[in-house]
Amino acid sequence: MHEDDRALTLAHAALTAAAGADQAQANVTISDASYARFAQNYVTQNLESQQTTLSLTYYIGKKSGSVTTADTSAEGIARLVAQAKAIAQRVPPDNRFVSLPAPQPYASPVRSYFAATAEASPADRIAHVLPVFARMKASNITCSGYTTTQTTTMAVANSLGLAAAYTGTSAGMQVKAMAAATSGYAESYALDYATIDPVAVAERAASKATVSATPADLVPGRYTVVMEPSAFQAAVKALIEGLDAGDVLDDQDSWMIGRIGTPLFSPNFTLRSDWSNPLLGNAPFDLSDGTPLTRFAFVDRGVPAAYSVSTYMGHKFGKPVTGVANSMIVDPGTKSREELIASVERGVLISRTWYERVVNPRDASITGITRDGVYLIENGKLTRALKNFRYFVSMIDMMKDVEFSNRAVLAEPEDDLGYSCVVPDAKFANFNLAAQTSYA
Amino acid sequence: MGTYAAASARILDSALKAGADYADVQFWAMRSEDLYVRNGDVRDASDTRSLGYGVRALVDGSWGFYGSDRLSDADFDRAAASATAIARSGAEVAGRVRAVTPAGSIVARWETPYRIDPETVSLGRRAAYLLDVEKSLHVAKNVVAAFALMQFSTTRKEFYSTTGSAIEQTIRQAGGYCGATAVGRDRDPQTRTTPDLFNQGGGYEVIERANMAALAPETGREAVILADAPRLPPGTTDLILSSNVLSLQMHESIGHPLELDRALGWEANFSGISWVRPSDAGHVRYGSDLLTIYADNAMPLGLATVGYDDEAVKPQRVPLIERGILRAFLSSRDTAAQTGLPQTASTHAQDWASIPMVRISNIALEPHDGTLASIVAETKEGIVVDGMTSWSIDDHRLNFQFGPQIAYAVKNGKRGRIYKQPTYTGVTPHFWGSMDRVGGHADYVVLGTTNCGKGEPEQNGHTTHACSVARFRNVKVGVKTDA
Repeated sequence: MHEDDRALTLAHAALTAAAGADQAQANVTISDASYARFAQNYVTQNLESQQTTLSLTYYIGKKSGSVTTADTSAEGIARLVAQAKAIAQRVPPDNRFVSLPAPQPYASPVRSYFAATAEASPADRIAHVLPVFARMKASNITCSGYTTTQTTTMAVANSLGLAAAYTGTSAGMQVKAMAAATSGYAESYALDYATIDPVAVAERAASKATVSATPADLVPGRYTVVMEPSAFQAAVKALIEGLDAGDVLDDQDSWMIGRIGTPLFSPNFTLRSDWSNPLLGNAPFDLSDGTPLTRFAFVDRGVPAAYSVSTYMGHKFGKPVTGVANSMIVDPGTKSREELIASVERGVLISRTWYERVVNPRDASITGITRDGVYLIENGKLTRALKNFRYFVSMIDMMKDVEFSNRAVLAEPEDDLGYSCVVPDAKFANFNLAAQTSYA
Repeated sequence: MGTYAAASARILDSALKAGADYADVQFWAMRSEDLYVRNGDVRDASDTRSLGYGVRALVDGSWGFYGSDRLSDADFDRAAASATAIARSGAEVAGRVRAVTPAGSIVARWETPYRIDPETVSLGRRAAYLLDVEKSLHVAKNVVAAFALMQFSTTRKEFYSTTGSAIEQTIRQAGGYCGATAVGRDRDPQTRTTPDLFNQGGGYEVIERANMAALAPETGREAVILADAPRLPPGTTDLILSSNVLSLQMHESIGHPLELDRALGWEANFSGISWVRPSDAGHVRYGSDLLTIYADNAMPLGLATVGYDDEAVKPQRVPLIERGILRAFLSSRDTAAQTGLPQTASTHAQDWASIPMVRISNIALEPHDGTLASIVAETKEGIVVDGMTSWSIDDHRLNFQFGPQIAYAVKNGKRGRIYKQPTYTGVTPHFWGSMDRVGGHADYVVLGTTNCGKGEPEQNGHTTHACSVARFRNVKVGVKTDA
């Protein structure tokens, strides 16, 4: 692929210029991101940006300096190397550093590039949002959200001969439909923009916003709760935090400590690192240093089993290196979403959450607030929209009694933690809805 | 004449030829230096530089934005044409609210005042300082991890518009803090830090002001105490917020709800809306009579302090809340024009690749009198909280739950035992309505964050919240998952 070659050429140019280093690593990112953002049924922000960054880490023994630049000219690369070398000469050593990773074979990648995404124009994105606005106007409601297309190339190479590159596309649409006193939410993410159906997304959001004209009260307390994937992926992050050797061994700040190998959760719960999931289109290597990624289970049928190990932590603690996981997969169950809901005598369906924070990493307790669609389930059916809730639960406790739907979806294409998630709907027993808000 | 005047002239000319009614371009040359020490090692010594430009084009009241770091003449023409084409695509939507066309020509230069150029402090000296600080956090064997960091950024901006504006600015910021994690008998790790919001406009003197070397040993000792401290029991009590916690409370429950784009619904899908509306200005009670908040993007030490914001609006001090009554919002040209509310020069972009948008920028809580010590002395029963572990607030900015690092019990005017993982919860206008004491200048500090998230794609904003300390009556504390 052309962009892979361009990125690797830049990386190797930097390594050639850094030939005097004991070791060196170059990282290149080339990105092109476009968004059409909307509110009140019109486009409020409409943008595109393209960016290339080149980073070099220069090692003198155990001392290192890292510099990043956007200037990829020959003069810019020469300055980059000089600046990185100057830092390495001045800082104290990192005594735990042993070596950059050596070249290793990679598994065949999954398809990650789709032309319909990479070549989408501003007019294509507007064509995606116009039917959304039309659907909202038909119900006399408004919407906000966005549609996006992105292409990213990343390359890493080091002075030991390791070289790896990856190009991937991603696309997404979020729609929040807003009626007078209620709102509804739907989303769709894909690698291929052509597979996102804006009419279906709009229909789902609009129909959820208009389940009831006014949201009902429900006494706070413990309820059976069904979370749609958008909400569940936010909740399960409390367990995803702490799955790295840096947390478990170096900082000793992980819910996993002292629990590996002992049944802790429902046997329904398996959490995997699997870069090869075709929904994600992720690279088979750790983009930070090119380490091949291992596919393994963090939690295997309810038993905490393993954590990821970077090259640095592997050397420091003498552990086999897995690479830092970029793909978090929760295995699906056997029932459909509708069957999960039908199995609830009295409970609550949560579409989406907001501002979720880990309160205590040790018990993976989280608090957050529901938004954009909370519904009462009675005798297996959604009967009315509810006002929102603040919840406060330990995810260690919640995952002890959990069931999943049979359809796992791409619920988070990327976030600032550096991984993406594929998760199903989840049904919890005794979920603590701690306080109710005055609005939907 | 700035470095990028000629390139900008070409870009603006290309945008007009492509059909833009108005265009502006802003070149940013950015540099950030990070130094991070953890568990005795320098884990990160990095220097990140970036140069690029963002073009805004306006076509029939519709904005388009294109950011690029490609610097040839052909790239400039392409960026201008793309921004204009994007703007034109948005103009296809019927029933939209038209953006205002900026007017006026401003020619100006501005630079953040600073005392010590970070360039004069060698990297070796900076690293030695952080290593010493980190070492002094290890006050006991059960301190299992510690860190110390400092960061500096310099951004040189040049703004040009088709109406003749030419503004050059150099913005300098710095920050640093440190912390320790200790593990107690129950293996529940507890972290205590110096103020993590210690980021200010300026040079190396900001690091000196953060005072990490002096604060580190006590910070480590408090981590050790927290490791075996009990949890704060549930109840309702008087709550005294340190300036560090009060700063974040202001950020979440005053700063964000007063962003005018949010109040107009423009942020509804992601960061939410606001419990107050533009029409509430002038009559809605936000808090007690002690609550007076200003927007001030000319404030010394502020992270959002500029000569002009990213759409060439000059900052002024604007009262947002006066004696508890909502007066105004944080605004952009478009949101101010749409509502008739004042402009506050609060439009900022994260970088050249990001579209400028309304941000919290700088807000200040007017100080009154007393100190943290004197307010504790006059409190019969309550808690003082400091540091921050977790914070969460709903998408209307009403219902919040905050989790500070530490609580000190107060009984009959004296500080008592320490509790770990305190939490408190409330509803914005009730909480601010319960504020019965605001400290004076002795405890007044200017604290800021460099990672306020907003927008899609998400942008990090640099915001400041200046305040003293404050007391709130009858607050629900110690909320638990098994409640």
